[in-house]
Amino acid sequence: MSESMLKLEGIQKRFGSLEVLKGINLEVARGEVVCVLGPSGSGKSTLLRCVNLLEPPEGGEIFLEGHDICKGPNSGTGEQSWELDFVRQRVGMVFQQFNLFPHKSVLENVTMAPVKVLGKDRAETDRKARALLDRVGLADKVDQFPERLSGGQQQRVAIARALAMDPHVMLFDEVTSALDPELVKEVLDTMRELASEGMTMIVVTHELGFAREVGDQVVFMDGGVVVEQGRPADVLDNPREPRTQKFLGLVLEA
Amino acid sequence: MQEFINQFFDVGFMLDHFDEVLEGFWITLQIFIFAGIISLIWGLVLALMRQLPGGATKPLRFLTIAYIDVFRAIPLLLFIVLIGTGIPSLEFLPEWLRLPQWLGKPDTFWLGTFALVVVYGAYMAEVYRAGIEAVPGGQMEAARSLGMNHGQAMKNVIVPQAIRKIPAPMLNELNTLMKDTTLVSAIGLNEVLQVASDVQSETFNSSALTLGALMFLVILLPLARIVDRLIARNRGQVTRGSHMEVA
Repeated sequence: MSESMLKLEGIQKRFGSLEVLKGINLEVARGEVVCVLGPSGSGKSTLLRCVNLLEPPEGGEIFLEGHDICKGPNSGTGEQSWELDFVRQRVGMVFQQFNLFPHKSVLENVTMAPVKVLGKDRAETDRKARALLDRVGLADKVDQFPERLSGGQQQRVAIARALAMDPHVMLFDEVTSALDPELVKEVLDTMRELASEGMTMIVVTHELGFAREVGDQVVFMDGGVVVEQGRPADVLDNPREPRTQKFLGLVLEA
Repeated sequence: MQEFINQFFDVGFMLDHFDEVLEGFWITLQIFIFAGIISLIWGLVLALMRQLPGGATKPLRFLTIAYIDVFRAIPLLLFIVLIGTGIPSLEFLPEWLRLPQWLGKPDTFWLGTFALVVVYGAYMAEVYRAGIEAVPGGQMEAARSLGMNHGQAMKNVIVPQAIRKIPAPMLNELNTLMKDTTLVSAIGLNEVLQVASDVQSETFNSSALTLGALMFLVILLPLARIVDRLIARNRGQVTRGSHMEVA
């Protein structure tokens, strides 16, 4: 578990005058699960969006499987480039609001990218998509449209949709925050299973239990910097930094 | 009262001139169909150019916005006269372009269609834009995060959803376009207004014009009901799908 999958060096990002990320360093090994905690506005989501270049970072370097994805003529401009293809076909992302395509069936949501982007064979992609949907427990929903599904089911479809591109890394951006409490577990269970199969994952979450149980590394962010990071037991149970202590206190109180 | 009816609603007079007015209306319908289809396509092209990403396409975006603004601000009748009288005078243009007679239609037909497309393309582009902007931003992000480039995301994800959001305003534009085809009479095309007003100036009876108006009603009144139904249906969809729109 020492091979570096992803390495961030001094990542900076600003929106206008607001400095959202002030030099983030992070290393993620292959198969590792990193849980990112922090108050809202701390830059957690922006960090994830920098990793797959939805928000190109303005400073620093990102190495994905050893390749620097912040170099190149178009990097940082948001335009199509070698880096974008390289990154987006290796990095899958799941969003807080699911963002399923409402005009397509569940199956088509999962098959669209492999067919349209990778030019894969339709029949084979269908078969694989059905297997993925079966794996997230939605084999009976393949022909439904997203609006007929519960939030938890939609989010599991979104996970299957990202997995259909055979990503090497999965990014989860507060994927249970928009769910009713009774639907959170089914999504976390899917993620647990994925972690146990060895997927490299960066998980922005407020679920401390999940971070403790599944995380190999916990990162606490505040104000655009990494305040504290380490093994879940250390960061969650014996936080050293006052800011971490205060945040965890507030989360546990609620 | 009788005089009023004779002037505007002389049924016998209408029947006498029915065939020629209908012939004019047929021209109107054809110009509407050509201009409608082409401006639907041209408007989408304009809307997509306006949404292009990145710095390199900035000049194109600027030109597109300028086009849309300018042609929505120019009076349509003025523009039709400008094109219809100006283009045929450009001696350096080849004749098939200067005086187009495709499909056996006179040059006024095609120059009028061209002017309508130029202006209505700009209106249609605004309708498409409203549809595109009504698609939540997360859709583009999801598509891009799955490896689609901007064009693939537009084609497969954004535009199909945008079009479902705008049938009612689109039909309203088509309604207006159909009525505005009568403006092409100003450059001498024998469409329904031209034919009916020729009859009027020969006979001093306005009933042929009334007949022309009735023909529009036959087409456009059902369209208004269709628009109402689409609006009601869309409202239903929004309510049902509202759990998707949180945040």
